[in-house]
Amino acid sequence: MKTITFTINGKARTVIVEEGLMLLDVLRDILHLTGAKRGCDNGTCGACTVVVNGKAVKSCTFPIEKAEGAEILTIEGMAEGEKLHPIQEAMVEAWAVQCGFCTPGIVMDLYALLEFNPDADDKALERTLNRHLCRCTGYEAIEEAAKLAREKMKARK
Amino acid sequence: MEAFKYIGKDFPRPDAVDKVTGLSHYIDDLYLPGMLYAAILRPDYAHARIVSIETAEAEAMPGVVKVVTGEGCTIHYGDNIKDLTPMAVDRVRHIGEPVAAVIADTPWHARAALEKIKVTYEPLPVYTDAREAMKEEALLIHEDNGEIWHLPTLHPIPGTNIANYYRLVKGKGEAGFEEAEVVVEGEFNFPFGSAAAIEPHGAIVWFKRDGTIEVWSSSICPFIIREDLAHAYGLPISQVRVHVPELGGCFGYKSDITVEQTIAYIASFVPGHPVKWVATRKEDFTSTLIAHGIRIRMKMGATRDGKLVALKTTVLHSTGAYADTGVNITIGAAHNSTGPYEFPHCDLEGYTVYTNTPPVGAYRAYGHPEAQLATERMIELLARKIGISSLELRRKNFLREGSITALGERLWKHNGDAEACADLVEKAIFGHEKPKEDDRYYYGRGFASLMKSPKGAPFSTKGCYMKMNVDGSVSVNMGGAEVGQGLRTIVQQIAAEALKIPPERIRVYTEIDTQFSPYEWQTIGSMFTLQGGRAIVRTAERLIQKLKETAAQVLRCDIDMLDYDGEYVFLRSDPSVRVAVTQIARGYMHGDGITVGEVAQAVADARLPRYSAPDENGQGTMGVTYTFGAQGCEIRIDKKTGEIIVDHFASAFDVGRVIHPKQIHGQVVGGVMMALGAALSEELKFDEEGHLLNPQFYQYHIPTYRDRLRNQTVMFVETPGKIGPFGARGLGEHPVIGVAPAILNAIYDATGIDFYEIPITPKKMKAALEAKREREGEERAKEVEA
Repeated sequence: MKTITFTINGKARTVIVEEGLMLLDVLRDILHLTGAKRGCDNGTCGACTVVVNGKAVKSCTFPIEKAEGAEILTIEGMAEGEKLHPIQEAMVEAWAVQCGFCTPGIVMDLYALLEFNPDADDKALERTLNRHLCRCTGYEAIEEAAKLAREKMKARK
Repeated sequence: MEAFKYIGKDFPRPDAVDKVTGLSHYIDDLYLPGMLYAAILRPDYAHARIVSIETAEAEAMPGVVKVVTGEGCTIHYGDNIKDLTPMAVDRVRHIGEPVAAVIADTPWHARAALEKIKVTYEPLPVYTDAREAMKEEALLIHEDNGEIWHLPTLHPIPGTNIANYYRLVKGKGEAGFEEAEVVVEGEFNFPFGSAAAIEPHGAIVWFKRDGTIEVWSSSICPFIIREDLAHAYGLPISQVRVHVPELGGCFGYKSDITVEQTIAYIASFVPGHPVKWVATRKEDFTSTLIAHGIRIRMKMGATRDGKLVALKTTVLHSTGAYADTGVNITIGAAHNSTGPYEFPHCDLEGYTVYTNTPPVGAYRAYGHPEAQLATERMIELLARKIGISSLELRRKNFLREGSITALGERLWKHNGDAEACADLVEKAIFGHEKPKEDDRYYYGRGFASLMKSPKGAPFSTKGCYMKMNVDGSVSVNMGGAEVGQGLRTIVQQIAAEALKIPPERIRVYTEIDTQFSPYEWQTIGSMFTLQGGRAIVRTAERLIQKLKETAAQVLRCDIDMLDYDGEYVFLRSDPSVRVAVTQIARGYMHGDGITVGEVAQAVADARLPRYSAPDENGQGTMGVTYTFGAQGCEIRIDKKTGEIIVDHFASAFDVGRVIHPKQIHGQVVGGVMMALGAALSEELKFDEEGHLLNPQFYQYHIPTYRDRLRNQTVMFVETPGKIGPFGARGLGEHPVIGVAPAILNAIYDATGIDFYEIPITPKKMKAALEAKREREGEERAKEVEA
């Protein structure tokens, strides 16, 4: 067993876990923060994406030991009360949400990009979004949402 | 044109905020007190006898509560053919079958213990293709084929691997080819695939201490699960309660019973504990339901002037180790293989064949894309042979008012306009010059028309319950599953229109719970807007009638002199004589506190009118409602790499009435992308031993962001139907149907190469281009010699 301490959505947490677990196992099955989704378990689909120390990571392949001392942001930490984060607003307004299973991962990856680089070009958006599989939308609305999110993030700065 | 207040406008999705904040709860997000976790062992062989299973070592692993095997299990289930068992008993028939299961305190303990189970197998011959399994010498995958309970309308052939033989004869059948002057033949293959929703299947089953069963499942058919489990465990149906949480995509393969009987069987060993199981991605591919596996032989005949005369179709369906979920796909593929055309003579047959592959189940459009890949390629081949344009051939033969379908159903104007759709797509795709071939690319344009009817069932009804609250707002409760398609928005809009109140005042149900939800057969076949919408309209009419009954007592007049406008019930002849709905929503209270009337609540359901079972000719009212459409594309083919780039895709559907423009657009764009995946890349590959070679997302390539279409035209024709709400028809599945044939027709236009199968990967395209160049080189050399 190992004791791991990290900050998650601004709150310090300590977990005692067995070896071999991934961050996603801990988030979901121990902390019951279920916003990050499990879609493939091998870092392909992107549904489990969370932000660790400012970088988007696929939590299903991120060993929990590496989270020691880290600052973790998950989809649950994005909205402030009833006020959605601009990226969340953009996803709603551009009709980029159908079944919603890929949505949290996309929001978190866009956050990791746009929070630090609201001037990210279309290529950067493409690199980010290409890490996420969506079976519903055909990506048209997701592209619109990403561009709208970029505008909103620029306006915010 | 009727003026609508709420229909045809873009209202916000009621579920969008929960979905972007991570607060929507899908099956794997549910945790119950005392819950245990299951992991399931899959076999090493796709076809084998189980000699022995040793579980002692697994039982001693940390956290393990129980190890379960199928030994002694006598449960057989299935809706159409009871050929399924919850766990392999003494034989495995495909590579994803459940052989044993571990129940433990955590998912990782369950998985770790799985590796300690030792199974000895005696391998049997493996058939991964219907053509092999149909051979006379083939070993029977189900020795009791024919004796297994099945619907009386099915015809298994005992002593063979044919789980069902379906045949439809219209007119003179195959003899009709006597009237044909031009005949073409072809064989087409639509290989195995997967709906591959990003959310894997999962279920939680809880055998409760009071003898009831409670289930949560990632399913779109909770009422079928309820009946099936009740039957398996000898309980009254009312004692099984099934919940459906949020669903992370479906596309068909979360219909029918998929994993629930297996998880129930496992959970039955630990009564008192809810047991959760969620598929790994690999299991989602091998152990739920796969798609297609359909080979089609087709013969099409016409007169010299392009009048279609006769169609012969043979569907060879590699349906997998269990045929319960696949048999109706074979049937649907057979009788819908006419596409949107009228053939006076049809002989359409379908073989549902047991193979040692995971069972095939529903996939968006249920037999239609598979069959119409063949039809739309054959139309091109036939037009070429006759020497007319394929669009002209289509126009001469479209199903239209007065036509008789293969099923024998007569069509009316309100069934929709295939030609109007074709006109729109023709203009979008062929209305301008095609780029000239250059050093790098061939350019091509392709077209396909399409037709789809639901694959329903006589009892395919959908229920609705509505109650008006004292502030005049309304709660709507139904059993239809929101899988991402935007069903809740549609419910809200249709209810708003029918009740004449703003959508914001209507609360739409979230989870489905068979304890509270009105009955719904299952949310399949693009039928929710159509049937569910009709149920909403009927329920609203009943609720308004209730309000009028109470108002008649208040206003002291006859009910039929009353009108309703959403806010008031009033006297038609003097609207100033009125009572507010807020005053009568739970009956009316007189000044002295005495109340009269009833609570304004109502329930109704709606089914497809006169839907029937097939008769001895394989015909019957089994379509009832049709949606016609057309799709076309402009492509570029890279001469060096063989890559096919879709520069423009256009679709048009006669949907009767657009309810929500943004959502219907999203359905089409998403559907086209999904079908481009099938046309250009997706194929589940089994080796000769029945092992699945690509059961991961990094091996089975569904379209990614980079593959998205940059230019897409989505159009609608609105010929109001007579069944659905405000004339609306179904659309969820239709966008996938014409995509593959449009692409293959465009490839021919670009290169002169005819393909008869999908997917056309760059590798396959490149090889075909090289072979063609070689052929042409040889021909040129021969010419020089001559």
